This record gives sequence, C-alpha cells and structure tokens, in this order.
Amino acid sequence: MASKGSPSASANRSDPLQDASTTGPQEASALLKEILTVIDSIKKQVSANRAVSIKDKMEENRQKLVGVTNHMYKLSTDRRIGRTNDTDRSVDLLTKRQKDALDMHNGVDTSNGDGASSSSQEDAHASTAVLLGSNVPVKNAVRPIKLSEVKRLPPYTTWIFLDRNQRMTEDQSVVGRRRIYYDQTGGEALICSDSEEEVIEDEEEKRDFLESEDYILRLVHNLWVYCFLSLMSNAFAFNHDFVMKRKCISISMTIKEVGLSDEVLESLAQCFSRSPSEVKARYDNLIKEEKAVEGAKHGDNEDVLQNSFLDKDLDAALDSFDNLFCRRCLVFDCRLHGCSQDLVFPAEKQPSLFHTDEETIPCGPHCYRSVLKLQKSTRVSSSMNGDFEEKSAPSSGGAQISSRKKSSGPSARKRVKSCQSESASSNAKNISESSDSENGPGHDTTSTHQSSPRKIKLAGKSGISKRNSKRVAEHVLACMQKRQKKMVASDDCDSFVSGGLCLGDMKPKSHPCKENEDTSTSLHKNAKSPASGRSRRKEPLVQDSQKLGQAPDGSSNEMITDPPATSSDDNSRKEEFVDENVCKQELIDNKSWKAIEKGLFEKGVQIFGRNSCLVARNLLNGMKTCWEVFQYMNCSESNLFCQAGDGANSLVEGYSKVDLIGTIGNNEVRRRSRFLRRRGRVRRLKYTWKSAAYHSIRKRITERKDQPCRQYNPCGCKTACGKQCACLLNGTCCEKYCGCPKSCKNRFRGCHCAKSQCRSRQCPCFAADRECDPDVCRNCWVSCGDGTFGVPSQRGDNYECRNMKLLLKQQQRLMLVMSSHILLGFSLLSDAQTASHLKVLLGRSDVSGWGAFLKFVLDAYRKGDKLKFANHSPDPNCYAKVIMVAGDHRVGIFAKERICAGEELFYDYRYEPDRAPAWARKPETSGSKKEDGAPSSGRAKKLA
Amino acid sequence: MSKFVIGSEPVVGSLIPSKKRDYRVTNRLQEGKRPLYAVVFNFVDSRYFNVFATVGGNRVTVYQCLEGGVIAVLQSYVDEDKDESFYTVSWACNIDGTPFIVAGGLNGIMRIIDAGSEKIHKSFVGHGDSINEIRTQPLKPSLVVSASKDESVRLWNIHTGICILIFAGAGGHRNEVLSVDFHPSDIYRIVSCGMDNTVKIWSMKEFWTYVEKSFTWTDLPSKFPTKYVQFPVFIATVHSNYVDCNRWLGDFMLSKSVDNEIVLWEPKTKDQSPGEGSADILQKYPVPECDIWFIKFSCDFHYNAAAIGNREGKIFVWELQSSPPVLIAKLSHVQSKSPIRQTAMSFDGSTILSCCEDGTIWRWDAVEAS
Repeated sequence: MASKGSPSASANRSDPLQDASTTGPQEASALLKEILTVIDSIKKQVSANRAVSIKDKMEENRQKLVGVTNHMYKLSTDRRIGRTNDTDRSVDLLTKRQKDALDMHNGVDTSNGDGASSSSQEDAHASTAVLLGSNVPVKNAVRPIKLSEVKRLPPYTTWIFLDRNQRMTEDQSVVGRRRIYYDQTGGEALICSDSEEEVIEDEEEKRDFLESEDYILRLVHNLWVYCFLSLMSNAFAFNHDFVMKRKCISISMTIKEVGLSDEVLESLAQCFSRSPSEVKARYDNLIKEEKAVEGAKHGDNEDVLQNSFLDKDLDAALDSFDNLFCRRCLVFDCRLHGCSQDLVFPAEKQPSLFHTDEETIPCGPHCYRSVLKLQKSTRVSSSMNGDFEEKSAPSSGGAQISSRKKSSGPSARKRVKSCQSESASSNAKNISESSDSENGPGHDTTSTHQSSPRKIKLAGKSGISKRNSKRVAEHVLACMQKRQKKMVASDDCDSFVSGGLCLGDMKPKSHPCKENEDTSTSLHKNAKSPASGRSRRKEPLVQDSQKLGQAPDGSSNEMITDPPATSSDDNSRKEEFVDENVCKQELIDNKSWKAIEKGLFEKGVQIFGRNSCLVARNLLNGMKTCWEVFQYMNCSESNLFCQAGDGANSLVEGYSKVDLIGTIGNNEVRRRSRFLRRRGRVRRLKYTWKSAAYHSIRKRITERKDQPCRQYNPCGCKTACGKQCACLLNGTCCEKYCGCPKSCKNRFRGCHCAKSQCRSRQCPCFAADRECDPDVCRNCWVSCGDGTFGVPSQRGDNYECRNMKLLLKQQQRLMLVMSSHILLGFSLLSDAQTASHLKVLLGRSDVSGWGAFLKFVLDAYRKGDKLKFANHSPDPNCYAKVIMVAGDHRVGIFAKERICAGEELFYDYRYEPDRAPAWARKPETSGSKKEDGAPSSGRAKKLA
Repeated sequence: MSKFVIGSEPVVGSLIPSKKRDYRVTNRLQEGKRPLYAVVFNFVDSRYFNVFATVGGNRVTVYQCLEGGVIAVLQSYVDEDKDESFYTVSWACNIDGTPFIVAGGLNGIMRIIDAGSEKIHKSFVGHGDSINEIRTQPLKPSLVVSASKDESVRLWNIHTGICILIFAGAGGHRNEVLSVDFHPSDIYRIVSCGMDNTVKIWSMKEFWTYVEKSFTWTDLPSKFPTKYVQFPVFIATVHSNYVDCNRWLGDFMLSKSVDNEIVLWEPKTKDQSPGEGSADILQKYPVPECDIWFIKFSCDFHYNAAAIGNREGKIFVWELQSSPPVLIAKLSHVQSKSPIRQTAMSFDGSTILSCCEDGTIWRWDAVEAS
C-alpha cells in the first residue's frame, strides 16, 4: 500500500515547496495550514488506496474461488455420473420422483394422457409428485413419510471437565485477570481471556497503529523534512537580509527539533481518532525506526533488537514460574493453593534421573559422543609423535591410572565411578577441544602445541602466571588434564577419564604447596598416604568423611593423584599457554552463551545430570547442540575447579568445596539415597501398617473420631522435622511436598500393600483416609493402558492399587439431568459398582469445614464440580467421604449399593435435624440424628 | 464497531439497485401454518440442482423447481413428535452417492433421511439442545457439521453415524452457536458463530486421523473415541451482537449480525499465537430492516451473489465479489410481509426462494433480459 502511495505523495509535496518559496520564512504558520490540507489530501489518498487494495484482494479471492467452485462442480457431476452407472440396479426414489414430476409437468403442458399412466406405475411407492403451479396449488397430496419418534435428551450445555471449573469460586473472580488454560491435546499452557468484552476494551484502549497510519505519519515526516529544507534554502536565498536569515534558520531549527508541531499533531490525531500524545509517541518511534533501519544497512545492530529476550536471565524468566506455578497441582495459577506459595526446596537432592552409562548411542549428528570418537581417533595417532609436555606426567600418570583401575574396577561402585569419570573425561576433552577450536576444526591437539610456544613468549613477558597463584593453579589444572588425556588417549575411556579428574582435584592443592606453607602441610599428609594401594585409602576416607561427611571415592582420587602434583610445578611455565587457551575458550563460550541459555543449562544439569545429550535435547533444543553443551559443561566445570582452587590456596578446606561443587557432590547424594534404600529394604521385612508413621499419626488413625481435617501446608524444614516444624505444629503429617528429608519422622510413609490393592483398612493409607500415592507407597501403581486413543485400559492387572481414584480421576461418567426431586440431579451414564468412586466433589480443605461428617459444613455454592448438584435423600444410594489426596482433602462420593445407569444419585447431606427441610426428613425419624450445632442461618442445605 | 481507523475503512455497497438482473415472483405456496426456517437447494449432486428442501414445524419437504415457475412436491417427511420444530436442513450424500437430507431443530436430534429410499437412515442423538444449523462438507458430503444451542459444534459422519469431533470447551463458544460453515477448499477448517458475538475458526487438522477413522469404523458408533477440539485457531469479534450467519467466501468471511448489514472480512491469524488475530473488514453489504436474529443469507453455487431476506419480507440480492459491492436487485412484493428467515439461490442464481415466518415459500425467477 505504501508503495502505491508514493507517487502521489511526491505530488503533494510540491505544494509546500512553492508555498515556502513564495511566502517566505516569516509565514511559517501559513505553511502549517498548508501542511494540514496536505494531510487531508493524504488521507483521501490513503482511503483511495484502501479501496484499490480491497478491490485487488477481492479479485484475487475471486480467482481462487473460481477454481474451488469449479472443482466442486466437477465433484457434483462426478457423483451424478457415478450414480447413473449404478442406476441400473436400483433407481433411487428421489430421481424417480424427479422424473415423474418432470413427466407430469410436460404432460400437463401437452395435455397428454401420459401423466395417468406414469402415476399408476408409481402407486407402488405410495406417493406421487404434486405440481404446484402458480395458479393450481394442490396441497398435501404427497403422503408424508413418518419419522419415528426418538426420545430427546434432557437439555444440557456441552460441558467439559476442567480442573479450574471444579475449583473456581465466586470470590476468586476472574474478571480482569489473565487466565491460563491447558490445551489437552498439546499439553500447552495458554493464556486466554474468558470474556470477550474485556478483549474489546483492551483493543480499543491500545489499538496498534496500522500500516496505513504509519504510512501517513511517514509522509508527514517527509513533508516536515522537506519544509525544513525549503526553509533553509529560503534562508540562504534571502541572504542579503541577515536578520531574515537568522529568523528563518531559527524557525526551521525549531521545526526540526520539535518534530511535528502541535497543530499538525492535533489534526493527525483527529484523523486517526487518537490522542495527540499517542501520535507523537508513534511518530518519534517511527523516526527512530527509520534511522535504525538506515543504520542497519551499515552496521549490524539488528541483533540487539532481535535477541533482547534471550538476554534475559533465566531467573527473571522463571520468576513468574516460581510465583504462579503450583507444585502440588502442577498447573499455573492454581486456584486451590493460590499464587506465590512459599518455595520449598527439598533438603535431599534428587539424584538425577538419568544415568549416563545407560546410553551409548549418539543422540544426533552433533552428539558429543560422535564428535569425541572422531577426535579420539585422530588424537591417538597424534600422541605417537610425543610432546615435551607429555613426558612430565606420563610416568606417574600411567601408574595412577593403573592403580586407579585396579582399585575402582572391582568395587561395587561402578556406577558412581562411571559417572565421575564421565565428567572427568569431559574436563579433559574440553580443554583439548578448546584449543582445537581455536585453531580450527580440522586440527587436533598437536597443532595447538605448535602454536602454543608463541604464546608462551607473550605470557612470559608479562609474567602473570607466577605472580598470580590463582592463575598458576588454573594452568596446572588445565595442563595436567590435557596431558593426562593425551597419554591415555588410546586407553579405555572410563579409566583415563577418571585419572583426569584426579588430577583436577589434586591440582589446586599441589600448587599452593609451593607457595603457601600452610597448605603444604596438609598436602604432605595427602601425599604420603597415596603412595601405595588400598590399605591407605581408608585413611583419607576417614579424613574426608570427618571433614565433609563425604563419599570415599572422591578422597581416594585425591590421594592417588597427589604425586604428579608436585611434578606439575616444574611444568608451570609451559602450562601457562594452556591456561591462556582455556581462558580464551571460556571467553568465547561465555560470549556465545546467552544468559538464558546458561540458566537453562544449569537447570538441565540439575535435572538430567551431566548428560549433554538430554540437556541439549530437552532444554536447549534449537539453541545449542549436544556438542556445544558438552563443551560448555566441561568448561564451566574446570572453572569451578579453578575457583575452588583459589580457595584452597588460603584454606585447606577449600578442596572440600571442590568436591561438593563438582561431580563428587553428585556421587555423595546418590550414595546416600542408596544407603537409605537399603535401610528401607531391611525395614520392609518387618513392616506393619503401624509403622507407617509416627505414633501420633497412628493414634490419629485409630481414634480418628472428631479430628477435624487440618489443612496441610508444606514445611520448609531442611533437616528432619523437629519441634518447630510447621507441619507438626499444625497437626498434619509431612507430605512429599515438604522440604524435610524422607527419613522425617513426621512423614506418612505410605503403604506397602502388594496384593490387597489397598481396599481395606489393612492398608495404612486406606485406614488413614488417604489415597495411595505412587511417590510414597511402595507397591502402588497403575498401568497406563495400551495407548489406543489415549484411553487407559481398565484394570489390566489384579494388583493395581485401587486407592488412587481421586488422584487419577477415575470417576464414573455422570450426566446432569432434571431431577425428579427439585432442580438438578444426577444420573449415571453407566452402571456403577458398589463403592466405585463417583466423583470428586471438591478441592481444598476448606473441608476443615466439612460437614455433618466432621462437624463442619460444605458450602457447595462456592466449591465443587457438577456433582454438587446431587440431591439429598434420607435414604441415599451414595455416601461421601473425605480423603486426603496428595496433601489436599477432597470429598469423594461413592456408591453405596449397585446403581443402574439413569438412576438419580442421592447422598445424605446430614442435615442437622432442626434445619432439615421437610422433604429431607426421614419419615420415621425426623430429628434424632445428631446433636444440634451452633445456631446459624442460611440455606438449610449448604450453609449451617 | 462503528469506528474505523483511517486506512482500514470498509467499502460499503450502495443501496441503489443496479438492475443488473431483474427478478419477479413466479410462484408462491403455503406449506403450512408453522414458520419455515430453512430452505436449501441441493448443490451436492448435479442431478438435483433443481431440487430443494424446506423445513418448518415437524415437517421436511422436498420440492423440485420446474420451468415456468412450477414447483413440484417430491417428498414429505413428518416427525412423529408434534413438538419438534426443525430449524435447519442440509443436503448431503452417502459415500455411494445416495442423496441424504439432514435436518435438525428444537429437539436436538439430527434426522438423516435417505431421500433415495424415502426412509430415515439414522437419528443422531447427542446435542444437548436445539440445533441451529447444519452444513455439509462440499468435498466430502458425508461429513456434516452441526451448530447447537448447547454451545457446541459437532462434526458427524452420516455414513457411519459417528460423532467425530466436538468443538467446544475452554476456547469454545459461550452461548448458543447459531451458524457454522465449512471452508470451501481447506477441508480442515470450519467457522462458527453465535450468541456470544464471536466468530471462531476451528481447525481439525490435528484430528484428521479421527475423521478418516470414522469412515472405516465398524464397531458401535458410541464406542468411537469422540474428541474435543477445545481451542479455535482464530477468534474474531467483528460484531457487537448475536452473529447469526456466517459463510466463507474463499478465504474471506461473510457474517451478519443484527446491524442491518452483511460484513465481509479477512481473518488475519498470527502464526505464533493461535487463537489470536485480527479481522480486517473489507466490505459491507447493507440490508435495511434486518435487525432481528435468525435471518440467514445464501449464496449461489459460485458465490457470485448472495440473497438475504429481511424483517419486512423484502429480499436483497448482492453481488458478492465486486468492489464496491453492487446491489443486483431488491425484491419486494406487496403480499410478502412476514420476515424471511432464509433464502436459497439456485445453482446459477436465476431462481431465488424465500421461506417466511408465515409458512409461505416464494419463488422468484430472473427475468431474461431480452
């Protein structure tokens, strides 16, 4: 559209030129007027363009439509042809009637006897066509064909169960709030607005500037610039009059500076029906944009605009997640638990779900595995050449490796080791890789060595390395790792990698020993111990565990690796270039990794462990390849070591940090959880339901009468819950959402039922009026079905837990119908078995106010799903039960007896005798149910 | 939506008839006392291009247009339930080409009538309230879609009797759905509109496997895994009142509310954010005295013209695809006084039928320009 307008625009522009030149500078106001008229004409021009564009669109559409309708026509004629071939078999009656009518019509016209004969034929089919000419209306001679009656459904609105429907309450009004829906098919969360009116309002308030408006603004801008220029030229034309010139220039300058004058703005605003300020803002924006576009042609400042969101920190991005996401319901904007819940972080770190040693298949073309393989093969050959650097370490390093192999190989910690080694290998690889990448993809490590000497010189001059112990530590680390990796290049991956890790650990200590006396002593200790094999390993283990309470693996690594450390000092000079390489690589990495990517990476490591395949695939898809992630992982890790190494300079304990932060931290967690598990297994043998929880809970279970349901709020205890634990004070059990470790005594431990299916009070969960939770109970599970149409198969196995109906929403299908009783009632769509769960009634433990059951009353006006419409009966076929489901109290309605499809559901509201409406009273016992409660008012049914 | 930003104003057609084509009444018949709500030509099968069906009360009637303004009654069907009031009818056909009539109304039951054997083929029970419109997929005429007061739109396979998809739920209509239409070429798209003043475009692309499966389903229809389509791909609020009729015009949309006009607009979807988008209103076709709801317009086979009745029994025939729109003719007759609920244009637009609230059917034929 804009392009079309340009010729006319230039035509318009000629006017002001003349005006400006003829009137002279002092009549700038006249110029303004002129401009306004020009704007007017532009307006007209725009609408004309609009008409043209519509015409074009219509024409284009028409062309398309012609093809479409022709195709449709072809289809319809095809149908005729297809039919006429068939018609030999059976003429369909419509065609026959059609023909008859036509015949008759012709017959009438020709007044022939033809019509009679044809009608006699037709009588077999009972009815004949009737002609309704304009003058001879013959009515109802065609015998109507009856359509047998079909019973209609009771009126209803198509209603789809959504969690938010279930829990929405009046006071949680959604007007003016953003809502998040879940797309059931895609599982995506979508933000929508419920009421359309809202949207309209929004739109009217903040209408986007349309293309056409922008177009006008641009034109006006051009106009201004033009005026400015013409004024300037005028000024110079009148150069005989100096004063005039000054004035002219000043006017034009103000125009230029201020941009559009108020009058112009006003008129524009009027024509756009907006406020002038809005127009002004937009105008400024446009001008800026224009300049930016111009700039973009020269430079490349596009990225700035483009990736502004990527620069956002992940934490910032996750902020809304933290605030809005309910970890218990796994939805955003949870109506049940509310927004901004306290963040509870579990005291126990979850072991990452995925073990790297299970997967050996590359995840894709950029998988680090395939890249590594490639590099390894090249490196093996290159290592033959030998490098002066390598020589220092090999002897000791080789020994280490072998010893390391021996020690760790037979032990049962294979998994731990492999994990560790994995990370270590990544360390080593990374560094070599970093140097590789600098020199270009084609080269391998040897090339970096060649290039390195040059760098040495540089570094040597500045002499940074020796002065700065930190630096040195880094060098050593990097260098050692590199060397290590090289010499073992041919070796089995696992073992050599672990060696690399050892070096990494030790290095921070080793260096300090030279410069820092304090640390050296500690080093000595370590250095002595490693000298020989296994017996000594215990020593550091004790040491470590005292200090850190840590896994023995890590410590063993350290001691073994100590000896080479001393030797590393000698090499420090050579190593500095490696350091430089590393640093450079880091720089590059840091540059190319955006803040959000880094954040995602960190989360990824938390979730998936050190598995670059999974991290890349799941979190950084499309941003980074597996290989890049792998590199970054190693790089950041070596950083960690370095930093920790700094700490080691001053404090011996520093290295504990290394361990904690680094991979070994992971080991520790895993080990511990396994330890726990083992304990659990033993325990299981003598497990009775009584041991399911702390005895207070047991007490509560056994004498559960009159215990109001308390609302559970997860506690944030970091250690086993003590007296101050919020849960304990509140009188609830700790649940899986609590921060406390699993061993917490206040936890409900779930059941271990295997075959009972948790359907009787044998099951501790059942007895405690809780639903089983697969996260907590040992044997409770359900199968997922065969996957056809996404519908889970019904009860495939006999041993599935039957106590998770609310959790799994395994409810019977219900239909809301007009009740025989009052207003609305319920009937079943299919027969229900006794005690089969019908429906969840309600969420939150406002059930602390649950009714006659527990002395409180449910207000179904506010809460509940459609089953809340089920009616009261003194002789009900259902009963309600409050059940704890994943920390929330819910009310389930269960069948008491066998209920047939179509039968209305009733349950006992448990009216207080004096409040029950007359119809709700049992005929014989009208008033001997329970003690009378506190005086209250309101509807009998739901308010007490 | 009276305010238009400069540069986005629609082109409004002029109400001065162009006299391009002249129509005159050639027949008028009284079908009964009950109002007629729908009349529709058979565009599915070229054999029956001159056959049309009307519904009113509990009756479905099939007629044929003959030369000289003669109308022949071919078939008549009466629902045994006297209270039934059919609101809509559509032609469809079985996969073997048997012509079907699909009618629905107050009871919410869809009647699939096999016009070839003059028997009821199937009755679809499922809608929870009255059915306001039924349309047939032109490319696969055994698929029909129905719009209902129960706020849902349902896609049915009349061959197997399966309810394939239900377009309702979180993103669905919030009040009665009044009209629905299949996209002429994009088989996945439908549009629906209703009393919540919105027009929603739905895509069943992701669910197409279910549509295909419905043709080969041999089990009970009730066992079919009917899917909910909860989110439309586009929601437009073009009107500020009930939207009671909408039709695709190629990729554009014709829709009408009770504002005395038909609006042609272009849905502009945003790929990144499904469900959102804007409507660019291109043209307007004024229709005076058309301010009650449930008045529907109809187009000829090639979408060259649309005819719409009004509250006072007049018919406006608009040339749809010209810009600015041209009023082809304004049809009025002294005796035609009651509201015209729906019109039907024949294949080439030479015949226009209107069915009125007083139970009359009017036939208008184009006068040959000689």
